[in-house]
Amino acid sequence: MNAGILRVENAAKVYRVSAGMFRGGLDLHAVSDVSFRVGEGEVLGLVGESGCGKTTMAKLILGLEALTRGNIFLEGRSVRKMGHREIARRVQPIFQDPYASLNPRKSIGAIISLPLRALGMGNRGEWDEKVREIMNLVGLPPRLRHNYPNQLSGGQRQRVAVARALIMRPRIVLCDEPTSALDVSVQAQILNLLIDMREAMGVTYILISHDLAVVEHLATSVAVMYLGRIVESGPAAEIFRHPLHPYTQTLLASVLTPDPRKGLPKVSLDAEYPNPIRMPPGCSFHPRCPRAQEICRSQRPEAREDGGRRVACHFPGPA
Amino acid sequence: MTALLEVEGLRVDLSLPAGVLHAVQDVSFHVEKGETFSLVGESGCGKTMTALAVMGLLPRSATRSAERILFEGEDITHAHERRMTAIRGARMTMIFQEPMTSLDPCYTIGDQLEEVLLEHRRVSRREARERAVFLLEKVGITAAASRLKQYPHQLSGGLRQRVMIAMSLMCGPSLIIADEPTTALDVTIQAQILSLLVSVQKEYETGMILITHDLGVVARTADRLAVMYCGQVVETGTVAEVFTRPLHPYTRGLMRCIPIPGKTRPGQKLDTIPGIVPTPIGDLRGCLFRNRCPHARPACAGEGIEEVRLTPGRSYRCILQPEENPEKAAA
Repeated sequence: MNAGILRVENAAKVYRVSAGMFRGGLDLHAVSDVSFRVGEGEVLGLVGESGCGKTTMAKLILGLEALTRGNIFLEGRSVRKMGHREIARRVQPIFQDPYASLNPRKSIGAIISLPLRALGMGNRGEWDEKVREIMNLVGLPPRLRHNYPNQLSGGQRQRVAVARALIMRPRIVLCDEPTSALDVSVQAQILNLLIDMREAMGVTYILISHDLAVVEHLATSVAVMYLGRIVESGPAAEIFRHPLHPYTQTLLASVLTPDPRKGLPKVSLDAEYPNPIRMPPGCSFHPRCPRAQEICRSQRPEAREDGGRRVACHFPGPA
Repeated sequence: MTALLEVEGLRVDLSLPAGVLHAVQDVSFHVEKGETFSLVGESGCGKTMTALAVMGLLPRSATRSAERILFEGEDITHAHERRMTAIRGARMTMIFQEPMTSLDPCYTIGDQLEEVLLEHRRVSRREARERAVFLLEKVGITAAASRLKQYPHQLSGGLRQRVMIAMSLMCGPSLIIADEPTTALDVTIQAQILSLLVSVQKEYETGMILITHDLGVVARTADRLAVMYCGQVVETGTVAEVFTRPLHPYTRGLMRCIPIPGKTRPGQKLDTIPGIVPTPIGDLRGCLFRNRCPHARPACAGEGIEEVRLTPGRSYRCILQPEENPEKAAA
């Protein structure tokens, strides 16, 4: 069995937030006790609603935030012992908004070659050649390397972001909502590009998205996050077909497939998404859970493993 | 019987440094009482401009012309600004995508809700407050009376959008225009807000124009729709008609390029619409989709790409006859 190109062990990130003047700080548990592993060439879909900790998880993997507890291993090495450059050599990001993630004052060529220059890989001649090579690969005409981001369409910009992430051939690419800012007709082009690049370069993806249709399309395994914890994880096909955690079931039921014969789903979550500073006791999902019993209010369910699937619920099972 | 809203030949032009942008070109549609009519399309297709033009809320740089805009039987094509102010917020209301930018952060929820009624009706503040509490409860907000004293920043995104819906209902409007009402919300909240909109709309027999880019939202909530591309309506019909038998190549392309759980095979390449959406600036001729269309032929660049009306509510703008379509319907 694959030891995993990325291994996350009991990772936690706690932010100190102000509670108001003279009141001292409060702890915001953005990520708590998260563990998962991603095998080489896999696509892990990290899903959940806003505020569930998926972007914090991304920052921890990219080394942009320091872990409060636990550890993350990239190709078997602890990120705690790696510098920024060593992490960057292995993991590269693609962000949501290509209008915000590309420096408007730099030419496309300079943007794409930045990782090579920052990591001191190769010389000027090689940079230009690599830029042209990767632009061809992601479907950008190499002549555009002298242009600036404002001269490109949204889809082209996201191709630039993909090219920049792939130019030094990282093992892992972390895609944080890679198509959320794009139009539907352009989204398909970028999703196809990600599929192509995975085949061409054997890269492993971590795909963070709130769009479950996109995740189902690309992911090989899925982890569902709720209030900083993973409530369910396992192979994508199984999670989508037989979700066991009531939260996963609610999420999947809320997806509006374009089927005019179906009406709007009855979503049973009436309570609001809780404030992560005042975490509910016991299972953090219990205030919104249709199955909640006494034990859920007092005792946090441990994740139970069964044939590659993990569910953290006192009463898991089909809806 | 006349429709609640009838729009004929609506045009909106925007003067930009690069030339005149034809944001809305000859758009016609109608909305019946109690019906949800959806304007669907990608960003820049003119769906929001169409709604703003109907409301009389266009930016100063825009010029509007129309053969006819009839609202509740009244011709508002050339209505004076004072008349539009009386209609807006009372008979015709709008819900925007991001509730935080449409609510004033300096005033309480109660002040903002009550103001709508005090502005348009001769009522006392107490009556206005009672109406506000009644509607907040209606949109599923608990402890409504105490919410009135809260400020927008104290509410979550889902609650703010509920407040916006309550606000749009204060005067009992006959038409609600909802512009991407759930795009800024999480999926679980999206379903709740849409259900809420549909239920209050059915209860009060309000007509609704639902503007969205999300085909899932349209399929599940709308009765009829118009697909817009580059400022033009390229196809209209009932939701069942358009989704089961799309007639315009753009509509078909849109429906095929999204991954659909249970339908598209995971990991398989998706169909794409090649190229990008052009900006409708300058002299426009022929079909605006022809550069991206798999069936484009020389005639598509010529004049006379007119809307073909099959029935009063079913039309498409393409010179291909439906029988000529290489594919009968999207899978």
